[in-house]
Amino acid sequence: MKKTLSYPKKKRSFTFVTFSVLSVFCLLAASWGYIFIAENASFFGLFTEENYLFAKKFLSSLAGIGDNDPAFTNKESWIHALKLTYETLQMSVMAAGFATVTALLTVIPADRNVADGTLTLSKRWYRWILFWIIRGIYVFSRAIPELVWAMVIVFILKPGILPGALALALHNFGILGKLFAEIIEDIDMKPIRNLASSGASNAQILFYGVIPAVMPKFLTYILYRWEVIMRTSIIVGFVGAGGLGQQFKLSMSFFNYTDITLILICYLILVAIADAISEGFRRAAR
Amino acid sequence: MGKFLYFLTYYKKSLLTLLLILIFVWSLFSVQWNADLLHPGGGVTTKQIFQALLAPDLSPEILILALESTWITLVYAVAGMSIAIILAFFFGILASGVLSTSRFNLFAVSGFFRGILGFTRAIHELVWAWLFVAAIGLSPFAAVFALGIPYGGILGKIFADMLNDIPEEPIKALETAGASKLQTLLYGYLPLVRANIISYVMYRFECSVRSSAIMSFVGLGGLGYQIQLSLSDLQYDEVWTFLFFLIALVVLIDAWSNLLRKRMVL
Amino acid sequence: MSESIIKMNNIAKHFERKIALSSLSFIINKGEHIALIGPSGAGKSTLLNILAGITNADSGEYLLDGKSIVNYQKRNIRSRKIGVIRQQFDLIASLPVIQNVLAGKLGEWGFFKSLISLLFPIEKETAARALNQVGLLDKMYEQTSRLSGGEQQRVALARLLVQNPEVILADEPVASLDPARAEDILSLMTELVKDKKQTLIVSLHSVEYAKKYFSRIIALRDGEIFFDLPSEHVTDSLLANLYALKGEAKDG
Ligand SMILES: Nc1ncnc2c1ncn2[C@@H]1O[C@H](COP(=O)(O)OP(=O)(O)OP(=O)(O)O)[C@@H](O)[C@H]1O
Ligand SMILES: [Mg+2]
Repeated sequence: MKKTLSYPKKKRSFTFVTFSVLSVFCLLAASWGYIFIAENASFFGLFTEENYLFAKKFLSSLAGIGDNDPAFTNKESWIHALKLTYETLQMSVMAAGFATVTALLTVIPADRNVADGTLTLSKRWYRWILFWIIRGIYVFSRAIPELVWAMVIVFILKPGILPGALALALHNFGILGKLFAEIIEDIDMKPIRNLASSGASNAQILFYGVIPAVMPKFLTYILYRWEVIMRTSIIVGFVGAGGLGQQFKLSMSFFNYTDITLILICYLILVAIADAISEGFRRAAR
Repeated sequence: MGKFLYFLTYYKKSLLTLLLILIFVWSLFSVQWNADLLHPGGGVTTKQIFQALLAPDLSPEILILALESTWITLVYAVAGMSIAIILAFFFGILASGVLSTSRFNLFAVSGFFRGILGFTRAIHELVWAWLFVAAIGLSPFAAVFALGIPYGGILGKIFADMLNDIPEEPIKALETAGASKLQTLLYGYLPLVRANIISYVMYRFECSVRSSAIMSFVGLGGLGYQIQLSLSDLQYDEVWTFLFFLIALVVLIDAWSNLLRKRMVL
Repeated sequence: MSESIIKMNNIAKHFERKIALSSLSFIINKGEHIALIGPSGAGKSTLLNILAGITNADSGEYLLDGKSIVNYQKRNIRSRKIGVIRQQFDLIASLPVIQNVLAGKLGEWGFFKSLISLLFPIEKETAARALNQVGLLDKMYEQTSRLSGGEQQRVALARLLVQNPEVILADEPVASLDPARAEDILSLMTELVKDKKQTLIVSLHSVEYAKKYFSRIIALRDGEIFFDLPSEHVTDSLLANLYALKGEAKDG
């Protein structure tokens, strides 16, 4: 008989990770329970004869079956759709630009290492206040979805490209601001200290120490966000902020399903181009 | 010519930045910059909206309504994310090609699944929602699927990339210890990406709450629905109340994921 | 007299135009402890990879226990014959120590058994015994990433003990350890394999360790066998020539 070895027992302790796992399971159970019980949604109820016919009709009208002049074979519709595509592209670029400019203008006081004086090697009492205010604004701006911003803005501005670009910019301003701040907080301090100890002013530290170190990463994030903005640009159009989205909404309400297909094709092409361009820029910037 | 090429490579980054700035300037020309951009009462409306921001509607009925809508928003987000995670798990593994045995398999299978993931995430969740509502009607499942499909695409792609970035030594070591492909997945790939994928899922969960809130715009319940109703009644103070609930939810999840990231062992 | 386990006959291997190994032949008997030495780029890793069946030779014959290596294509059959240990990046840092040790059993286990074991470790007894042998019993449930380099190398050894192959191959197993830890691992390794008469082939950069812990030394230089001698016959002048830079005098 083999001699048994006494080995240690696994320690079981209640950590934050265990707590998180439990919370996730509770959330899952509660959510699916709510959907099935309180909202009384039946999953298999989706697969009725009626729904099937409905979905089939919808899909075949998207494909233009039974339509003798579907939009995606019509030259006029294509020209119109391409014009909207062009507008949407402009809108997304404008949005990314606005977001970048505003984020760059505010990001310096929003860094922990500026607020506590390690970056500039000087302390000012008001810096922490400024830090929390700007960080608060970032949270505020990114917590509100683009679509909600757009809905509010179309109350102020007339429909067109500008309200869409502003809505997209307002949301992405908070995201870029936070990302930029994190990059600046992570920079290597040694070259900066050398500059500061050799008597460089704050502006000189910024231009010779900080900007060269962070610029490539900023560019990567800006391009990445532009891709996301491109994808979202169709959404802000739903509430009248111009571009492909506005047409999507109109065609939806007039049940012009082949128009929808055409718009979706243009949209997919646009997203694919945006992906390729931003990938190309990132490669080139490396 | 040689000098020019040298110039190009030396100033590559500055030139790229300049190019991006020029593109931005080009986009500004698409708008006629004049007062005609504003609605006639635009200035007044702006003032009202800002005043309402400082005095949100805190009456009990609105608070209860906001709480209820926040819950529905969270429910759709959680349910949508659970579908997204399941999709991402299977599609991500297939798209990464870590289970492929032959070169042909690797390119064919992973190319095919990367294509599917790319397609699902190229279309925005709200467009999916619209298509689903048009196809299956106003069911909570329309919201759940509309969230789950594009988020599955995003998570699946990242998951596949993470699996591909795993260093090969530990995996090789498992194979020499006799592990099959599936076993290297269990004992190698999955534990090695666990921490990263969890923090990414938490980040996407935060996004999904925002997405879930706007699902309402195709007629599904939640915070966005209430915001839309209040906006059409011009009740800006109510709008802000609902928005503050949304912000609170997002901040809460953000804090949770930050804490988790710090506590999680790699 | 003693049985041979490995027979290499005119093994050659090249990468593109570079010749990594040219026509190696040797025989290794069961239970031998062999050190593989030679300057960087001599082909030690390449040879060990061929021995492990990870890479295939371009030409030549490799018999493992009397059968050609092509008969060992199935991973779980090969893993019973040959085990490999390298530097500590062989382990899955995010798993507990016990799971890394039990990974040595994967060749025997099916998919579901390994899945269950990931949640509720089975054959804890086996893992505990192996960890006890390498002196890490108290770290059984520790996260592997929290262990020091030397401890991680012991965990890798424990995995090999669980896998229990007939031949153990080690490619610079102590390269990243301090001298005390390195000696510790080497003596542990040579002790543990003695019990089961396992064959041990270890590549090393330290001639001193090679002489101290191994009975036979095979020296490679430029993909050829420079010498193949019992440790006590290895002289300083031989070693000086082995490690001499190109162009230096090669007379002994
Ligand atoms: N995958 C590969 N592709 C191309 N050349 C290779 C490859 N692997 C090894 N080589 C070459 O084969 C030769 C032998 O390499 P090997 O790694 O076996 O040397 P080594 O003795 O282990 O060296 P070290 O002591 O530095 O680890 C080297 O010249 C190396 O450049
Ligand atoms: Mg080597």
